[in-house]
Amino acid sequence: MDVKRKVDIIRVNPQDWPNGTPTWKEEDPDLGYDLIPADRYTSEAFAKLEWERIWTKVWLLGGRSDDIKEPGDYICTEIGKESVLIVRQHDMSVRAFYNVCLHRGNKLRPEGLGNAENFRCMYHHWTYGLDGEIQRIPDLDTFPQGCPPGAKIPSLPCAEWGSFVWFSLNPDVEPLERFLDPMPKHLDPYHLERMAWVRDITVEWDCNWKASVDAFSEVYHVQGIHPQLQWYLDDTNAQIDVYERHSRYLVPFATVSGRVALPSAIPPAIYEIMVKAGMDPAEYEGRVSDIRRDVQLFKRAHGAEQGKDYSELNDDQLTDDYHYSIFPNVSMNVHADDVMMFRQRPHPTDPNKMFYDIWMIELVPEGEEWPERPKHKRFKHGDRTIGQVLDQDAFNLPTVQKGMQSAGFKGLWVGDQELRIRHFHKVIDDYVYPDGKAANDI
Amino acid sequence: MDLGLSGKKAIIVGAARGIGMAVAETLAREGCDLAICARGEDSVKDAVADLKRYGTNVVGKAVNVKKADEYKEWLAWAIEALGGVDILIPLTSSGGGMGSEKYWYNAFEVDVMGPVRAVEAVIPTMEEKGGGSIVLIATTSVVEAMGGPQAYNAMKAPLVTWGKQLALFHGKNGVRVNVVSPGPVEFEGGNWDMIKGTMEKFYNAQLRQQPTGRLGTPEEIARAIVFLASPAASWVNGSHLVVDGGFTNRTHF
Repeated sequence: MDVKRKVDIIRVNPQDWPNGTPTWKEEDPDLGYDLIPADRYTSEAFAKLEWERIWTKVWLLGGRSDDIKEPGDYICTEIGKESVLIVRQHDMSVRAFYNVCLHRGNKLRPEGLGNAENFRCMYHHWTYGLDGEIQRIPDLDTFPQGCPPGAKIPSLPCAEWGSFVWFSLNPDVEPLERFLDPMPKHLDPYHLERMAWVRDITVEWDCNWKASVDAFSEVYHVQGIHPQLQWYLDDTNAQIDVYERHSRYLVPFATVSGRVALPSAIPPAIYEIMVKAGMDPAEYEGRVSDIRRDVQLFKRAHGAEQGKDYSELNDDQLTDDYHYSIFPNVSMNVHADDVMMFRQRPHPTDPNKMFYDIWMIELVPEGEEWPERPKHKRFKHGDRTIGQVLDQDAFNLPTVQKGMQSAGFKGLWVGDQELRIRHFHKVIDDYVYPDGKAANDI
Repeated sequence: MDLGLSGKKAIIVGAARGIGMAVAETLAREGCDLAICARGEDSVKDAVADLKRYGTNVVGKAVNVKKADEYKEWLAWAIEALGGVDILIPLTSSGGGMGSEKYWYNAFEVDVMGPVRAVEAVIPTMEEKGGGSIVLIATTSVVEAMGGPQAYNAMKAPLVTWGKQLALFHGKNGVRVNVVSPGPVEFEGGNWDMIKGTMEKFYNAQLRQQPTGRLGTPEEIARAIVFLASPAASWVNGSHLVVDGGFTNRTHF
């Protein structure tokens, strides 16, 4: 690696935190060094395979449980060509079913959140209960064939974990816990249910959904596209772990990359970390390279009095970015005080487009009132800023997507720092080509 | 032009990096013996080893300028280790910052009392020997507003006033005192290096204000400081030299 300084990052000893988030480094699998074909980012045929073999087979992130607290609260979310209703039941369980009227196919609800006593189709007022069962068909006596079989909208597997609600388009999907393994063990210590919405945005991006997942799966691009982050995190000391389907990297935050000289003044972004922790940077007597550890110690000592229970988190988690990818489309920057996560959804018809959902949640200190939920915003790439760092990613991806279509570019030339990308595509292969890849498969 | 520095003994407060390092190196190259300090032991060790390559006597020890007793001990040690002192250049600064009262105390301790304590330590030795030269380091931020209202700019300003007073008071005993105000200086690990990386737009705006389209280097500041410190500047006393590539807009009558 091209570094100016060798940085020794203090990391927690895995044995010291037996009940917390596992911190040991997994052995890297040998996934080879083949090109990852560019065609899989542009091909409609491949997008169709993804739909048939991934999107309709796996568990998918639907929303936050917090948004459906009361019976009748619902989330209407879309994936590809499908629209799904996720509804809190009277017994407080959750159920999901297709968002479609069995009469003439109209959608029952637009995308978004709401509360309903029942779901009544606008078209002819066919009415469904919270579980998708038909409650009323106007003029039922004019349907000699009776009501549609089962008298119910086909239901979908639906379950909750980690303050989120998940659904699957696959009626035979494995249990959620099995699919997510080992994510709950990793993320439960954060108690995401203590975090409240602060940002909910959907941006239409001109790239394939996988280009976005790739972009958030490595820190190699920090020195390229986010040079300012080198005074905020250490991109040269990321620990990468890949699991069966999911993966992560652990990146030290509140420290300066070995790629740049160590400044004597506290970098602005690290200054902000200190202020957020409750420290006064003007009082700080240590070196810039000591700040990460001192922030950890400070938060450990003062978290409880700030109403922040860090007791299940290890010291590294008090500063660092534990970044998880939950297959196929969730990227989460998980921190002790907040999570910035992205749900990357394919466009229903065009492999060159996608929907990029930005979800940000923040820890609400005990005893403090929960902030009002921000309204969901939706726009097209370039219409509004989404913040400096994400803008840097966003402005790059359309040109990546263009390049995918060039005759001069056969595929991704991926290095060791991008192991998670290689692993992601390996998992895609496992789903798309369960019997192994044939010669012409992309 | 011979600067007449060969064999002189210089104390540099804060010499491990940036302008201080460049001053130390220029003096060593000119044949000065040096006593240097910095906060970190490793940086002092590295700097001493590096500066020794010019073949003069270089000594160094870590010290925290904010700790008055420790600092005064260091100053006494430096004079002792050099066997006297001809030149004093105190450069340490607590740097900028807004939003906490503590910045004022930091700036007072480091930017004001750092030089004050050093000057008081060396004056008796210099006067006894019949001469010496002191260069205080202020900043162009004392002559033109920059970077928002902060303790750094305000607490550097006293050095300009006090430097003149010192020059008048000690001139009769052969001690010259001058002040150098550097403009923005860029070096690896310095503030402007970080600003270039973290606030590119602000950095570029600064470049546009520079007649030369670039920031200064530590060596360019060091050469001006070393000249004023040297016997070659024997008739320069009580001056305030702005070294900024023409960056400041004020007309200096």
